[in-house]
Amino acid sequence: MTDVEMKPVDEKKGDKPVEEEKKPVPLTPTAEIKANIALIERAVATLEPRFTHRVLRSLTHLRKRLDDKILRDAINESYTPDAASRKALLAWLPEPSSEQSMDVDSQPAKQPQPEPVPEVEVYFRLLILHHLLVSPTTYPKALKLAHDTIEKMQALNRRSMDPIAAKVWYAVERVYELSGDLADARPHFLAAQRTAALRHDDETEASLINRILRSYLQYNFYDQADKLVSKTTFPSAAGNPQHARYHYYLGRIKAVQLNYTAAHTNLQQAIRRAPPAKTAPGFYQAVHKLTIVVELLMGDIPERGLFRHPVLEKALAGYFEIVKAVRNGSLSQFQNTLSKYAAEFEADKTYTLIVRLRQNVIKTGIRRLSLSYSRISLRDICVKLHLDSEEDAEYIVGKAIRDGVIEGRIVHEKGWMECGGQKSGYGPEVSDVFSRRISYCLELHNQSVKAMRYPLNAHRKELAAAEGAREREKELAKEIQEGGDLDDEGPDLGEGF
Amino acid sequence: MAPPQLVQLYKELQQTFISGNLPQTGVLLTRLKIALTEAGLLVPVGNPSAQDLVIARDILEVGAFWSIRTKDIPSFDRYFSQLQTFYNDFISVLPPSPREYPLRGLNLIRLLTQNRIADFHTTLESLPLRADALTANPYIAHPINLEQWLMEGSYSKVWNAREEAPAEEYKFFVDSLMGTIRNEIASCEEAAYDSLPLKDAATLLFFKTHAELVTFAQQRGWQVDLTAGKITFSKKTEEKVEIPKEKLILANLQYARELEQIV
Repeated sequence: MTDVEMKPVDEKKGDKPVEEEKKPVPLTPTAEIKANIALIERAVATLEPRFTHRVLRSLTHLRKRLDDKILRDAINESYTPDAASRKALLAWLPEPSSEQSMDVDSQPAKQPQPEPVPEVEVYFRLLILHHLLVSPTTYPKALKLAHDTIEKMQALNRRSMDPIAAKVWYAVERVYELSGDLADARPHFLAAQRTAALRHDDETEASLINRILRSYLQYNFYDQADKLVSKTTFPSAAGNPQHARYHYYLGRIKAVQLNYTAAHTNLQQAIRRAPPAKTAPGFYQAVHKLTIVVELLMGDIPERGLFRHPVLEKALAGYFEIVKAVRNGSLSQFQNTLSKYAAEFEADKTYTLIVRLRQNVIKTGIRRLSLSYSRISLRDICVKLHLDSEEDAEYIVGKAIRDGVIEGRIVHEKGWMECGGQKSGYGPEVSDVFSRRISYCLELHNQSVKAMRYPLNAHRKELAAAEGAREREKELAKEIQEGGDLDDEGPDLGEGF
Repeated sequence: MAPPQLVQLYKELQQTFISGNLPQTGVLLTRLKIALTEAGLLVPVGNPSAQDLVIARDILEVGAFWSIRTKDIPSFDRYFSQLQTFYNDFISVLPPSPREYPLRGLNLIRLLTQNRIADFHTTLESLPLRADALTANPYIAHPINLEQWLMEGSYSKVWNAREEAPAEEYKFFVDSLMGTIRNEIASCEEAAYDSLPLKDAATLLFFKTHAELVTFAQQRGWQVDLTAGKITFSKKTEEKVEIPKEKLILANLQYARELEQIV
């Protein structure tokens, strides 16, 4: 679970597909940073966190192209030469060579702009943090910067900074994890989580809860993680990527506690909320691995199509073998697969869960037998399922009957099992399942109605500028074109209210 | 540094414990716990030296074993929770204790006999061992195997394993475990058989004497036919499936209301 899982999660930030930046000519990183800064300023000025989110979406994409020079240039261009923040920021980067410093000197003349908002500085710090994480030699420096940045953020206490702060916390975790002492970071996270909760800082709180959960799970403290979950409420305003992670961690906790149904629900949520498979393959694979195991533990067989998915095919090879073994109810095949892929399962932290499948393999085996025979001797069961003794077979069949896996009876005197008819598929359970599905759809509909958004203060501007009306119409037409799904919902809502 | 009085008592405790004098060990433990609290070692505060921590850990370990020998499970639970701190948080400071895994294994068995399967698995996951190393550790492998056999229904294996306990203290749990198993088997038999000869029932339930079986059968409310030598299980009457009218109506009204809001 070390690196495999985290990478995907990074990638997640770059996901949400509304990439406005996708212009024919890709921008140079410096230009992109500058554009981002403009967006952040706009976000702060209009109190609209949407723009900040857009900036953060490009983070992953941008991160890979950063180097010292790009960062230095961007900082120099954004700040006046004697600004204190500029010096503070540049101090974290290695000294430039003489040729580059020439560059720096020529810049300031045309930069008489006012000091940028503090959010910009924190954004730069975030970029530098990510840059420092590229090579292990700069980890101590990154750690120092991380602490410095946290202090700064908490001293400033600005709501418009929250989305960036959430990302900074993520970077902090990365620093600790890469330097190998994630446990030391936990007190910081816990303290910050309290502060964030008190300040109603949803983004940061969500991010921090995930940080803490992750650090608990890393060290297998399932009890503590469970307590944390029951004592906190995950802010519903948090972004999808945070939700996806949270559900993944919940699913893991629940699966360990044998609450497979709840685990399955959480993992389903994680899959739904996760970014598309191509953008975050690691996360997608990790969630699916766990889901498959949980499904098997619930007695279901995952769909075969899942294993042909281009992203999953290779990663799930071992799990596919396990599924086959469970489906066939063959204990020997199961044991062979288990020992063959043990290292892989161990790395995925699913080994102990898979070991629990043993009893499911036996149950499936018995069910298959009960379907194909109306009467079978215990001796044959024993041979077919590779059990150790007839005595065991009798107990196992007895247990299966009691647990409702099969319908049947054992006739002890004759030493065989008689299988009863199958239950019919119609009953009150069907209506339960049906109503669960309906309520899910209704919930989805209500959520999407709630999630529709309209620009703030738009109507006030309209009133003020009468001649701007024509322009507005044009804008509106454009908006409708872009937001095709918005006007699908529109009429429904209009009549209803 | 631990006060000399504490060290003195600790030495005394070790001797008494080895000699097997249980009541005296109990008295010493109580006094030691007070001494530990005064020295700030029972729940370590500040920055105690590793040497003192080892003493505190040893005392608690003796306490845990003593609880098992005196069959006081809640007391074992308390000692074990106190030991958790020493096993988890000071793992890098303290030399590993030879009694750590026997105790962890005992704790697992305790969870198993109390039928706390979810806790059992959570505890298992949080052991600081690699998953494939679990089965290599005899103290841990024993409860793992027991759980697996219990879950799949190989009760005879559980029965046979009762003599293979890796430590003396494990045997204490065997009796309560057998009680659990008998009840499990009995409920399986009720579901799986119409009737069963007395002799076979005794073998299945691991009863040695006829009388034991008859008492057990009476407890479960089975009909014992002594002349034919048979036990008949009262067949559960096929429960009638009722249509949950009220629930269905409520659900439908709910849908109607939601639909109204949408359209």
